[in-house]
Order: sequence, then C-alpha cells, then structure tokens
Amino acid sequence: MPFREINSKMVEAVVEPGRTMYSQRGAMLAYRGDVSFTPNIQGGQGGLGSMIGRRVANEAAPLMTVEGSGTVMFGHGGHHIQVINLAGDTLYVEADRLLAFDGTLQQGTMFMGSQGGVMGMVRGQVTGQGLFTTTLKGHGAVAVMAHGGVIELPITQGRPVHVDPQAYVAHHGAVTNKLSTALGWRDMVGRGSGEAFQLELSGNGAVYVQASEEKL
Amino acid sequence: MFRLQGSKTLAVDLTGDAVKAKNGSMVAYDGRMAFKKMSGGGEGLRGMVTRRLTGEQMEMMEVKGQGTCYFADRASEINLVSLHGEKLHVEASNLLATDAGLRTGTTFTGLRGGASGNGLFTTTVEGTGQAAIMSDGSAVVLRVTPQYPLNVDPGAYIAHQGRLQQHLQSGVNFRTLMGEGSGESFQIRFEGDGLVYVQPSERNTVGGDV
Repeated sequence: MPFREINSKMVEAVVEPGRTMYSQRGAMLAYRGDVSFTPNIQGGQGGLGSMIGRRVANEAAPLMTVEGSGTVMFGHGGHHIQVINLAGDTLYVEADRLLAFDGTLQQGTMFMGSQGGVMGMVRGQVTGQGLFTTTLKGHGAVAVMAHGGVIELPITQGRPVHVDPQAYVAHHGAVTNKLSTALGWRDMVGRGSGEAFQLELSGNGAVYVQASEEKL
Repeated sequence: MFRLQGSKTLAVDLTGDAVKAKNGSMVAYDGRMAFKKMSGGGEGLRGMVTRRLTGEQMEMMEVKGQGTCYFADRASEINLVSLHGEKLHVEASNLLATDAGLRTGTTFTGLRGGASGNGLFTTTVEGTGQAAIMSDGSAVVLRVTPQYPLNVDPGAYIAHQGRLQQHLQSGVNFRTLMGEGSGESFQIRFEGDGLVYVQPSERNTVGGDV
C-alpha cells in the first residue's frame, strides 16, 4: 500500500530508492526525508514517442517524478481523493484528475474512438473529456481527485451501470462503455429532465462516481 | 427506499415505483430508469400558474424504473427527513428528492423570504414518505418548543416542519444606519412546536450586508 489516507483530502506516500512515483506538478504539500521532485517534460513515462502522442492528444497533464527516500503528502485544491488499487487491470481516467500514482504502473493514452467508434468520439466531446483519455495499467495504486465524495459502483455481467457523464470520474476492469442518449421530444422543446446523455458501462469492473456534476 | 451512500450521495432503490428529484441531479444508476421532467411548484394547471407568478422555480423530474438510482448535487451534504402526514417547508434550492407519494406546493412566506435571499415563496412537501434535503455542510436539527423559541439567521435556514409560526425580526438601529452593523440585523424567529434545519454556512442575503 504506497498510499495512506490521512483524511479525505490528503494522502501520504512512501518513496524509497528504486521506487519512484509520479504526481501532478505542484500537488506536494509536505515531505519528510530526502526527496527530490523533478518536473517531467515527457508528462509521464514511455519515452519520446508517447510524449508526442500525449501532446497531440492534449492529455499532457504536467507531471513530476518523485524520487528519494521519505514520505510525501499530496493534496490539491481541496478536492476529495480516492485511492484505487490496481491488480493487473487497466484504469481509465482523465489526466487532470490524476493526483499521484506508482511508478510501476504503465501509462498510456487511449483514443476514444477505439472504444465505441464514432459514438466514442461523440462521447468525448459531449462529456468534455476530449478525444483521448489516460490509461494506467499494472500493479500499484493511484490517487484520483474528485469534487465531493466518491462512490464506487461495481459493474457485473448483465447489470450495466449508467452514469451522468459530468459525474463520471474513472473506471477499471474489462468494461465497455458507450454513450446512450435518451433524447425525446421533451428535450427538443426545452423541457428535458437534464439527463439526456448517459454513459452506459457494462462488463466486469467498477466505476467511480463523484457526488457532484462539476468539473475539477 | 432512500438511503445515504456516504454523506453526499443519495441512493434510492426502485422497484417499479417512482421518485421525484431535482432536475439533472442523477449521477449514476443501474437497472432500467426513465427520466421525465415534471412541472414543479405543485401539480396541474394551478401549480403552473403559481409557479409562474411566484418565481419559486423548482425544476423537478420524475424517475421511474427498477434498480438503484444515485443522486447528488454540487457535493452538498444530504439529510433524510421522514414525514408522517405533516408538512415540511423547504427552500426550493435545498430540496433534492422526495417520494412520489408526497405532494409538493408553494406557499407565501412573507417578508422573511426577501431577507433569506430566496424570494417571497417557499416550497412545501406534504404527506407520508421520505424527502432528502441538501445543506452546505452537515445540517443540525433544532427543536422548538413553546418555552424555547428559536432565532435563525435567514441565510443559514434551510427547512422546518411542525406547527411553527415564523416572523422576521430586525435589529436595525442607529449603529446599523451608520454602517456599523454586526451583520446580524435580521433573524427569523420560530415559535410553537417543531423542528428547524440549519446549515453551518450562510447564503448571501440582503440581511447579511447590514
């Protein structure tokens, strides 16, 4: 467990030689021991190729490498922090929601269109997530930020979960998602219920939902 | 059935029945749900006219289906209120969801509304069932008895229930006019028998400036 929750808005992480971490730039609140923070122009790992990829994809959250030996406390903007432990599966999350994650996790970028085709691209636009999203894969822990508290909803086969795109935070597991519309004539005449677009997640895994419909 | 998932998310289990909720407050659901906008402020034509006249905008939707539906709004704390035939007065902006069986309406509040920054009208919820009200920070429930009346800052008031009379009290004096006010020149005074819900935060009100 690299992250220890101090309260709902702060986490503490242990860094040791040979165990680096990545965190959002400026998210360090305090540290003990001998720790160095290096801004990371590549915006994560994966070399030059993936750096260009991320730039193009506009998923280049300014990250920094945290190395050394000691403990570091992270927090940002008074947002609630949710620690998600990954055991070999992939987490899909917006880059600007990432607070800190284990260096052992493999970072990547996913094109929305590769999950759901054209509808996936529409979904990215509608939800304000853009056409790309960040993926983290492997064994380790991730600290994710959200406005308000976070609830975790399990997704099981045959029991899909629908989420308001604005309240969606992240998901992991073997989950396919698609944008479902419930546009009726009421929405056309301006009498919509405010729930015209929903993300439908089905498969096996979990989705994290924040108790607010505000972006970070 | 209403239950809280954490302090900021309301989970409602539906088995074919319906629930009324603030427009756009759904954050997630599983199962099958249908969302339909309702005309708030009371049902029918009369409700519509009242709504137009009073400006008590209560945009609500009806959610119907099978499964669990989760509601939340701007990370507000949620309080559950059980009603057994009595009437709950609540500011429209603080009402998150009610059982479909509860009747909602609009009443005139008098001068108090102007001072609390919520207009001259307030929403009432009546019947038997549950309602979820929102507050900025965890709300406290204060009991009012004939011996112990209660004074509340209009900006911190969110709801009340029971047999209560309310009137606006002002402490405007010479100092206030000189611009030396304490910021507590107006209070709502509750007398009678009932419960008042107060939040640990104050809305911007006219009264708060003087």
